[in-house]
Amino acid sequence: MLDAIQFSSFAEFIDMGGYGFNVWSVYALFAVFIAINLIMPLRKKEKIIRQLKRRALIDAEIQNEDSTEQ
Amino acid sequence: MWLWFSKLGSPKWFYELSGRWLPWLIGAMVIFMTVGLVWGLLFLPPDYQQGFTSRILIVHVAVAGTSLAFFPLMFVAGTITLVWRMKLADMVAKNAAILGAWFSFVTLATGSLWGSVMWGTWWEWTDSRLVSMLFQLFLLLGVISLRSALEDSEAAAKACALLSIVGCINVVIIKYSVEWWNTLHQVSSPVSLDNDSPNGPEFWIATLIMIIAVYLFLSVSLILSTRNEILERERRSQWVQDLALKS
Repeated sequence: MLDAIQFSSFAEFIDMGGYGFNVWSVYALFAVFIAINLIMPLRKKEKIIRQLKRRALIDAEIQNEDSTEQ
Repeated sequence: MWLWFSKLGSPKWFYELSGRWLPWLIGAMVIFMTVGLVWGLLFLPPDYQQGFTSRILIVHVAVAGTSLAFFPLMFVAGTITLVWRMKLADMVAKNAAILGAWFSFVTLATGSLWGSVMWGTWWEWTDSRLVSMLFQLFLLLGVISLRSALEDSEAAAKACALLSIVGCINVVIIKYSVEWWNTLHQVSSPVSLDNDSPNGPEFWIATLIMIIAVYLFLSVSLILSTRNEILERERRSQWVQDLALKS
């Protein structure tokens, strides 16, 4: 199976038959595109959950204060 | 059927169901993406005319083909929103526009990087395929700005549904542009079982794997952002508060 690899050296792999810049730019852009559109929503979710938690804790505290005052 | 439909529209139900699906979708996406990229980068033989730039095409074709799915999806979601008042469909439509703009941009950029060496030009205003794809990008940016201008109102949903009709017509134009106006962009090579043909199994199977990988990525990304939207819109409901405290 390894015989089917089209390149005999790493330098050849990078060079892509002279089209290295274009081929690697496309794959880099594709990787960035995938990463951004998966990481951004995941980070946003963490942020939302953090905010919801904080809000819930504040609410609970206010309720506690109310009950101790009475 | 109606019970099922109204259940499907419930954000809570969707949140729970998609939470169970996500690990499988992500797993499948990783597998197809890895196979597609390794095959594409290491094993794909050079094209007799294009050399190794054919490696660009498996990514370009997969992203470009998938980008045509967004306007039909937004049209269906918009119709469901307007006819059955399903909030969930509106959330999907909103996030689909953003992801669709990304897809259109990557299609244009990867195409440009291929064209710059194979056509000798980055861009050609007289080519119908290129211009109609650019129009799709602008249309999606229009939908996004319209939504942010009109907030969550019904007017936004209506305007976006209307724009997605235009978008769907444009999708047909993009699809057939290479046959109707024969300018620069080549027609798709016929799928062939002969390994010596320009689009033999070695090439189209690699492309097919990338297409499946990209569709899986689309689903995962769209589900993730829709789930965020649900949490934000339903933040006052008990189940979201419970969920936040549990995690």
